[in-house]
Amino acid sequence: MSTCCRYGVDETSTLLNAVMTAAKPSLKSLLARHEVVLLIVIALEILLFQSLGRRFLDGTNVSNIFRHSVEIGLLALAMTPVILTGGIDLSVGSMMGLCAVCFGIFVNEAAMSPLLAALLAVGIGTLGGGLNALLIARFQLPPLIVTLGTFSLFRGLAEALTKGSKSYSGFPDSFLALGNSDIAGVPAQIWIFLLVALGIWLLVHRMTIGRSFRAIGYSPEGARYAGIPVRRNLGLAYILAGAIAGLAAVILVARLGEARANAGIGYELLAITAVVLGGTSIFGGSGSVGGTLLGYLAVAVLNNGLSRITAYQLFDQPISSVARELSGMLTGLLLLLALAVTPLAKALAARRTKT
Amino acid sequence: MNGRYSREITVAAALGLLLVALAVFAPNFFELQPLLSRFTSQMPALVAAIGITLVIITRQIDISLGAQFSMCAVVAGLVAAAGMPLGVAILAAVGTGIAMGAFNGILVAWLGLPSIVVTLATMVTWNEMLRLWQQGRLLPLPDGIQWFGLSQAGGQGLVIGIAVVLLLAAAWAMRHLAAGRHVYATGTDAEAARLAGIDPKRVTLGVFVLMGGLAGLAAVLNLVQSPQVQPNSGDGLELKVIAAAVVGGVAINGGRGNLWGVLLGLLLLTNVNPALTHFKMEPYWERAIQGLVILLAVVADGMKRSKKSTA
Repeated sequence: MSTCCRYGVDETSTLLNAVMTAAKPSLKSLLARHEVVLLIVIALEILLFQSLGRRFLDGTNVSNIFRHSVEIGLLALAMTPVILTGGIDLSVGSMMGLCAVCFGIFVNEAAMSPLLAALLAVGIGTLGGGLNALLIARFQLPPLIVTLGTFSLFRGLAEALTKGSKSYSGFPDSFLALGNSDIAGVPAQIWIFLLVALGIWLLVHRMTIGRSFRAIGYSPEGARYAGIPVRRNLGLAYILAGAIAGLAAVILVARLGEARANAGIGYELLAITAVVLGGTSIFGGSGSVGGTLLGYLAVAVLNNGLSRITAYQLFDQPISSVARELSGMLTGLLLLLALAVTPLAKALAARRTKT
Repeated sequence: MNGRYSREITVAAALGLLLVALAVFAPNFFELQPLLSRFTSQMPALVAAIGITLVIITRQIDISLGAQFSMCAVVAGLVAAAGMPLGVAILAAVGTGIAMGAFNGILVAWLGLPSIVVTLATMVTWNEMLRLWQQGRLLPLPDGIQWFGLSQAGGQGLVIGIAVVLLLAAAWAMRHLAAGRHVYATGTDAEAARLAGIDPKRVTLGVFVLMGGLAGLAAVLNLVQSPQVQPNSGDGLELKVIAAAVVGGVAINGGRGNLWGVLLGLLLLTNVNPALTHFKMEPYWERAIQGLVILLAVVADGMKRSKKSTA
């Protein structure tokens, strides 16, 4: 089993690609690499916002770009294994809401220490991910509808627990420091993010379990015949996603100083966008953690950059004050564009060979 | 209860049980005027549910329908507020819906992209565009729009009438028209449908366009029930109608389901919340219950399938 996974089809093709790229490093083959295109997009974004925006590349703003978006980055990391298996998890944003509310209750009403409450919140995320895993991997139900159901269930539980409007605050300063202080000149939560990124990278690119995600996404039946425990590994991807969503919720609460039922609304879209922008196929089977990180960077820079533009107006409002709506809209369009590029290019190429 | 209509019978029994419980414990639930108002207010969801049923039978999904609904309501409201007659406003709403549905349909049918991600993206795009454009303003409507300019009873009758006629027409067409059978064929096996001379891409595009048009019409049926337009009137509608369809026995894997089951599913789900308030429970549980019901329906469906495959 291990030999088959270590030298699978996709390894060979990567090797082949590398050899061919090395042999002929033309501009065209360089542009064909997803990461290169993404780096160009990010560079263009930075140029645009630096020229239109106010103090975009200022030191504090650069650290804000990461501080304010690290939760999306965590969800994107969590979503990568799931999408690699050909699945999807729409429930991660709602899971953040539920974990945030539970964390607030543990600290405020059960008088727990923030550390214990955070561990329990991550535990609840793991359990919620476990519910997804049970239904998707064990009962073989479609991930789309299962996670649409838990999307509603988790947010609904968060609303029920807070009776729709209650919010929890008054957390100790030592806990809020996690969201608002720097360690060695870098926002504290970025260190956690880097650790998680390293862990996911090791899992996906260096471990047998992680490498099986792509095999499952490429062909679940084939993966099963190759001796991969498909159900166990599929379940693991969803459990991991739930746990990381719990962690993201704790970090969000630490930054905002407040836990509400609406924490993380719409974050699932941003995470999926980052993953797909990063070159992971939405049908599963191919993609990389490095791509996801670049995709996340593109989304994060867009979100932040728009909020720095005060000199230009849209619908009689400075762009900075409608940045949230505008970046949401552009993220949606960006996702569609990223999805449409490959099939459009294929269709055009097919037409060219025909004529 | 393993017959062809077992799901419909189960849901009808659950609905019956709920109504009997309400009759015994909260008889004022059945007072005519509130009951009629509640029923009328559920008609827009019924119209949207017709659309999503067709989409799911084709083995697709559309979670942007709530955003389409909101957008169409605002467009119709602006047209009406500009002094145009109601007919023009209705055409504008339906036309906007068709355009948005066609956008989804082209991306899904022609480019072969997964509908869940496409409609997730269009949902957010339309919603944020609407927020950017309207900034949460309430849009007051001119006189003569509410209840189509009729009396309240007349307007309620017309709203219910339109929805019921649409339901009957759609149910008949799904069973007796070639186009209706093509929807089932495409959802059961697109490749087999293609070999049988059906163009699955056209069918897929068609159901998304129809979904958009129905979302526009549903928005109109909702708009005439109040003196103003909420800028986010369609929020959460997608979950409500997807839940209704799944509970009503529409298979999420496509190819199976009928509109009568969906009607029962919708009635069951929409009466859960009034029942909760009548039984003095907190209404904040609505979304959680909706999610739980979706999961239960999917599990029931999956267990039925695996039983069939092992037998």
